[in-house]
Amino acid sequence: MVQERRILYEHLDVPDINTFDVFRQYDGYTRFEKAIAEYQPDDIAKMVMDSGLKGRGGAGFSTGLKWSFVPKDIKPCYLCCNADESEPGTFSNRYVLEKNPHLLIEGILICCYAMGIETTYIYIRGEFTLGKKMLDAAIKEAYEKGYLGKDIRGTGLNIDIYSHPGAGAYICGEETGLIESLEGKRGQPRNKPPFPAVEGVFGKPTVVQNVETLCNLPFIVGNGVEWYTQMGPTYADTRANPPTPDPNTGTKLYCISGDVNEPGVYELDLGLTCSELIEVAGGLRGEEVKAVIPGGSSAPILTHYELDTRLDFTSLTLAKSMLGSGGIIVMNETRNIVDCLLNIMKFYAHESCGQCTPCRWGTPWVRDIVQRIADGNGRKDTMTRPKFGVAENGRWGDTGETEEIYEDLDLLESVANNIANVDTMTWNTICVFGIAVSWPAVSYMRKFRPEFEATIREGKLVTLPVAEATVPPEENYAYQQRFVPKEFADL
Amino acid sequence: MSDELIQIETPFAFNEENQREFDELIGRYPVKEAAMLPTLHIAQRQAGYISPAVMKYVAEQLEVTVMKVKDVVTFYPMFFEEPVGEYVIRVCHTLPCALRDCKGVLEHLKSKLDMDIASETNLAKGTTADGKFTLMKVECLASCDVAPVIMVNDDLYKNLTPEKVDELLAKLAS
Ligand SMILES: Cc1cc2nc3c(=O)[nH]c(=O)nc-3n(C[C@H](O)[C@H](O)[C@H](O)COP(=O)(O)O)c2cc1C
Ligand code: SF4
Ligand code: FES
Repeated sequence: MVQERRILYEHLDVPDINTFDVFRQYDGYTRFEKAIAEYQPDDIAKMVMDSGLKGRGGAGFSTGLKWSFVPKDIKPCYLCCNADESEPGTFSNRYVLEKNPHLLIEGILICCYAMGIETTYIYIRGEFTLGKKMLDAAIKEAYEKGYLGKDIRGTGLNIDIYSHPGAGAYICGEETGLIESLEGKRGQPRNKPPFPAVEGVFGKPTVVQNVETLCNLPFIVGNGVEWYTQMGPTYADTRANPPTPDPNTGTKLYCISGDVNEPGVYELDLGLTCSELIEVAGGLRGEEVKAVIPGGSSAPILTHYELDTRLDFTSLTLAKSMLGSGGIIVMNETRNIVDCLLNIMKFYAHESCGQCTPCRWGTPWVRDIVQRIADGNGRKDTMTRPKFGVAENGRWGDTGETEEIYEDLDLLESVANNIANVDTMTWNTICVFGIAVSWPAVSYMRKFRPEFEATIREGKLVTLPVAEATVPPEENYAYQQRFVPKEFADL
Repeated sequence: MSDELIQIETPFAFNEENQREFDELIGRYPVKEAAMLPTLHIAQRQAGYISPAVMKYVAEQLEVTVMKVKDVVTFYPMFFEEPVGEYVIRVCHTLPCALRDCKGVLEHLKSKLDMDIASETNLAKGTTADGKFTLMKVECLASCDVAPVIMVNDDLYKNLTPEKVDELLAKLAS
């Protein structure tokens, strides 16, 4: 069985690790001291680039690359730590904040040193009252011990950290929504460009980084890039010449919930498969896996045929899904996918910020269609139509067969795809919340179409056995590309 | 809403402790408006909810229009514009909790307290007549590993069952 490798979470359960003295006993702040004693800021930025660290908040964007976009000549520059963890199925940042807040502070210090930043705001979710209390206490202690404030440890560095509470809006996790919210406004995302790295909070360059991403920094500096890149696969994209490395390095705090025996956070090297993770989490609760959501509720669902997909950024992107925030939700054979989709669509309809018409109107519309289907009033036509697909001659066209017309399923796909199109990956909205709506809507419907059709036909929620509920692999629009292809082989 | 149109019965002002917290807060940001959310949190802690008087006071403190404060208050679910109960019970009902029967917990709470669920625009509907409890549904509380969960004011309660809900209610009632 795959073994856990605890790095960020190694000392999480040490009693009183939230206090400065105990944290110090476990190498606390030595990595920051090493950074300022041995490296220039640019060296740190280069190390982060070479480590291949990708953002853990959702987008999976290379952290080193993001830092390189920040203009050097505009000051002040800000760091916003994204601690607004609200993606359903994600709960790893909470434990860092509640149990080991000094680790986050050390990560922030290293980032500030590398980027010449003097002010950091930690945007912490409003509901995290305990987390905020622990974090504030740790910040206070760090000030008292001279690791924050003016002229830190006699180096001339001035770094301030402030915590800033949110107030219960999911969209404030989106980086530009977070910035608006931090400025004291409604958390409505901004158009990009300009990207926050160039023009962010208070009109100044801003680095937005997730808690987990920042917590990786002390270990990259402390143990070196070589040590770090050993963990997790690095693929080589040989479509470029010379091949470009595609790193999925480091560990990930996988949050697993739903139908497993031991839900929780497991820190593992990136790149294990979905079934391995279920195994690590005490195995399935139930008889059979029906579906797995691999990266928080926004991620397209995986069927039981796709459980050998590796849970890393590249593999999941190829499988037309995403690692997202690393929140894995497992569903067993008793679950009804229509019902699950309804739950998720209610969430998105509630959380849309209301700026863009396709999202403001489209999301409740999708919810209403799913509600109608779940209530047993899904619409189906009495006529049939010619079925299009790959015909006998191997080309796309009329297959000579006929198919039934499920009006509501066509409508569902059409509305969702007009918020954001999952096939072309283009969206008609300001932020990618639109994709987060249409991805689940379209993927659940396409991959579990028999269950949707049966529910409409019978006029009530019908839970089919797993094999019948799932479309077979050859009809699954996302199935073919689950594996990293040859031109992406391990480096 | 122009400032003159607001009917204010009792004006609001921070007490000494909160004033100190606010003064410290305001120095953190290059513009005063940025202190909006933390200031509203402090105000709500003191007043119980964000009444027009509170909005007016916060607007004065942050040197913005009352409309701007109202704009923010209506956007965020954690700010209440009506009085709420002494204990605000937030029941998570997103997918991971739903997979662990949060519905049972919610129904049990509803029948035990003999009350309805509040909606964001109608908090009174989900508040008991004696003003002790407000019951509302919320989205994922980032504790799906210990689902189903509820929050009572600032405290999180994990792995709930109807029996644990009974124990909790008995504790709160005493
Ligand atoms: C709708 C939406 C919600 C998001 N919520 C969060 C969140 O709760 N926490 C988070 O860290 N990132 C969230 N993100 C991702 C952020 O926009 C951003 O990519 C991230 O904070 C960047 O940090 P990273 O590079 O360290 O991952 C969200 C994005 C979107 C579109
Ligand atoms: S896509 Fe939705 S959440 Fe994003 S800015 Fe538009 S309305 Fe707001
Ligand atoms: S779904 Fe209830 S805590 Fe995440």
